[in-house]
Amino acid sequence: MEQDVAVELVGITKRFGTFTANRDVSLSVRRGEIHALIGENGAGKTTLMNCLFGMLVPDAGAIRVDGKDVEIKSPQDAIELGLGMVHQHFKLVPSLTVAENIFLGMEPTRRGLIDIKAQSDRVRDLSRRTGLAVDPDRPVRELSVGIEQRVEILKVLARGARTVILDEPTAVLTPQESRDLFRTLRGFTESGMSVILITHHLDEVMAASDRVTVLRDGAVIGTSDTAGMSEATLAQMMVGRPVSFGRKDRVASAGGPVLRLTGVDAHDDRGLQALHDISFDVRAGEIVAIAGVDGNGQTELAEVIAGLRRTSGGQITLNGIDVSAADAQQVRQAGLAHVPADRLVRGVDTRETISANILMGRQHQAPWSTRGIIRWGRVRAEAEALIKRFDIRTRGPDAAVRSLSGGNMQKVVLAREFSQDKPFLLVDQPTRGVDIGAMEGIHDEIMRQRSAGAGVLLISVQLDECLRLADRLLVLFNGRIQAEMDPLTASLDDIGLQMMGGSSIERAAE
Amino acid sequence: MSDATTSAAVGRQVPQWAEGVVSAVFALVVSILGGAVIILIVGENPLTVYATLLRGAFGTPERVAGSLLQATPIITCGVAACIALRGGLFNIGVEGQLYVGAFAAAWIGFAFQMPPVIHAVVGLAAGMVAGAMWIAIPALMRARYKANEVVSTILMNYVAVLLTSYLTIEVFKRPGGWSETAPIAETAHLMKLIDGSRVNVGLIIALVAAVLLHLFLTRTGPGYSVSAMGSNPRFAEYGGVKVKRNIVLVLLASGAVGGLAGGVETLGVHHRFMEGFAPGFGFDGVIAALLANGHPLGVVLVALFFGALRAGSLLMEVETSASREIITVIQAFIILCVSAQFLFRRRGGVSGERRWRF
Repeated sequence: MEQDVAVELVGITKRFGTFTANRDVSLSVRRGEIHALIGENGAGKTTLMNCLFGMLVPDAGAIRVDGKDVEIKSPQDAIELGLGMVHQHFKLVPSLTVAENIFLGMEPTRRGLIDIKAQSDRVRDLSRRTGLAVDPDRPVRELSVGIEQRVEILKVLARGARTVILDEPTAVLTPQESRDLFRTLRGFTESGMSVILITHHLDEVMAASDRVTVLRDGAVIGTSDTAGMSEATLAQMMVGRPVSFGRKDRVASAGGPVLRLTGVDAHDDRGLQALHDISFDVRAGEIVAIAGVDGNGQTELAEVIAGLRRTSGGQITLNGIDVSAADAQQVRQAGLAHVPADRLVRGVDTRETISANILMGRQHQAPWSTRGIIRWGRVRAEAEALIKRFDIRTRGPDAAVRSLSGGNMQKVVLAREFSQDKPFLLVDQPTRGVDIGAMEGIHDEIMRQRSAGAGVLLISVQLDECLRLADRLLVLFNGRIQAEMDPLTASLDDIGLQMMGGSSIERAAE
Repeated sequence: MSDATTSAAVGRQVPQWAEGVVSAVFALVVSILGGAVIILIVGENPLTVYATLLRGAFGTPERVAGSLLQATPIITCGVAACIALRGGLFNIGVEGQLYVGAFAAAWIGFAFQMPPVIHAVVGLAAGMVAGAMWIAIPALMRARYKANEVVSTILMNYVAVLLTSYLTIEVFKRPGGWSETAPIAETAHLMKLIDGSRVNVGLIIALVAAVLLHLFLTRTGPGYSVSAMGSNPRFAEYGGVKVKRNIVLVLLASGAVGGLAGGVETLGVHHRFMEGFAPGFGFDGVIAALLANGHPLGVVLVALFFGALRAGSLLMEVETSASREIITVIQAFIILCVSAQFLFRRRGGVSGERRWRF
């Protein structure tokens, strides 16, 4: 039994000041298994993996690799012990080729010069053995994210990793790519390697892992064989209470169109065309979801609708008003409520109080402001009411937003935007980085707005979120509406195929 | 590291203003001790020197008036810098706006004849217009092309100082004597507040400006928009604030108040434009605004302190062998302390966890 364990963390405790990030955490990863590590944000996954990878030194506890006590003081130590980490945000040099990236810092040389041919041959060999197909001589900037991830994995393998840690590996992948990835990982474990899989997606845990460890509040809630678990049980272990995941019940309630885009074009910050001829309607009382892999024009689409980016063609009408050339304030007046994708950048001012954040967008409107003077008493009372209504966990309306957790910050944004009874809601990545527990509350709130008759445009890279909420599903690919699908009947495969541009999938998988 | 973490944890529990007061007192203590070391090195007794400094600033009613006189332009310049700072912009060109404002007010004063009061008001208005015009180019460049206003406003300082010198020496020079313009008409003089001192209505103007700015920022819709823009411009833009337009307006307002500070100096104190009349009031104002973290009422306190240092240093130089540059050293220590605290706070907030994100 003992020799079966590849990596073992015993009683790891790590404190930051008075805050304990890991409390007596033990985790053992067997040779040849895929071990999922799950937990909400702030549960301590980050700290634990930083300890294992030599980024942090634990205050107490031991780390064993292949049964031997080891001291890991730097990532270099970790790599030498056969540990490899694939980060969520890839660390590749776009202008270098695949092979150059893989051997960066350990290039094979011949007479002092880099042996480019040997380098490519070794990548080809590695690629054949692992089934991770790449073209060694292609520059990384020409690759899709799915292929970039393969390069990251090959990079780790080329450094001799026998235990691979993957952090949220499927965040940028389509369902097909995810399945391919898990097949590859299974191949690794069959050849005796081990995989630690950090993820938020419970369906992936169920489909891909052998065992699973749940962290909550810095401590291990339990480790068990995946086969004996269900998504519901895992969610309950993570959150500490029952959570539901199914598609939201609803009655058909679609009315007249509130938002209409006709042939809209737009350019991105580099001046390249990011949106091509986008046309669709959102009707009152329905949720239209825009699905797609991140970076296919979602940002530009949201900004164009919200008046934060100019269109270069086409027409947008909101509530019957032409807002094609309107600025943010005019679009808001026409009836927009907007939950922006990056709440820290656009959604809140973290340094300000909850009251001051609630005011944004209506600082010139009665009753919040009369004759130019802000009625802070009214604003504060409104903030107090919204804190109750949206269950924002805080000590009061005067608390700075930066003191809130990510989920509660997002609730401040929702509270401000959803409490104004606007006919149209633009909801962009509403649960990005939000815990499962808070996610449910946010979804319920979106459904309530739909029932109240608002038209909702949901932009999300999380397909499960789209399927759970949408009445209609549009797939955005390369700045175009690739397809319209029925979320009730479309299969995951079909949607994934469209997310990759339909028939162009073979090219991307090459 | 652990100290920084603890202080950050404590910082979350105490109110923000208390944190500010604590750090200001800390900066003060460290800078006085640091200054003492320098005084010891030049062979003087720090206690004697500091006592003389205090006496020079507050020893007699006349000396208190002297401190107030020195503080007046620093308060106004500080308010000017605050306006920009709160809008997320940096106007280091206050010194230049002070110069062109002072010259414009002097020109109105000596070249025109008007009834009393009106003459002074027109003079101050001219100073404000000149200050605003002086920052107009950096403001437009910033709003339109995102040209860094820090650089452009600094550069405009040199132009302002040299241009007013040229005008004084070559165009409007009084025959014989100093490099200064003809005196302004008495109708343009600002009313004196204290007999036997040059302290004038300008002090009240400065204090009113600080209070008005404070009320504008905390109580009005446009003020809210401006501070939101300063704190998080992308959030303000998202909320419908017209960021580009506000950048221009905020910088113009800042420049106008800088020009006002110059007008007050001319009409209230010197009664003419003298080449090189201002020993860095504009820069002191910018520093005061930074130390007060952009808070207009805090600026008043810091400026009064700076004014007292300047006034006290005169007596200190007469009675001891310490140079008046000692006060520059003390100010430099304060700046060091404040910037060091910024660094510590940042480090405390990061606390290792986010070096790599999973």
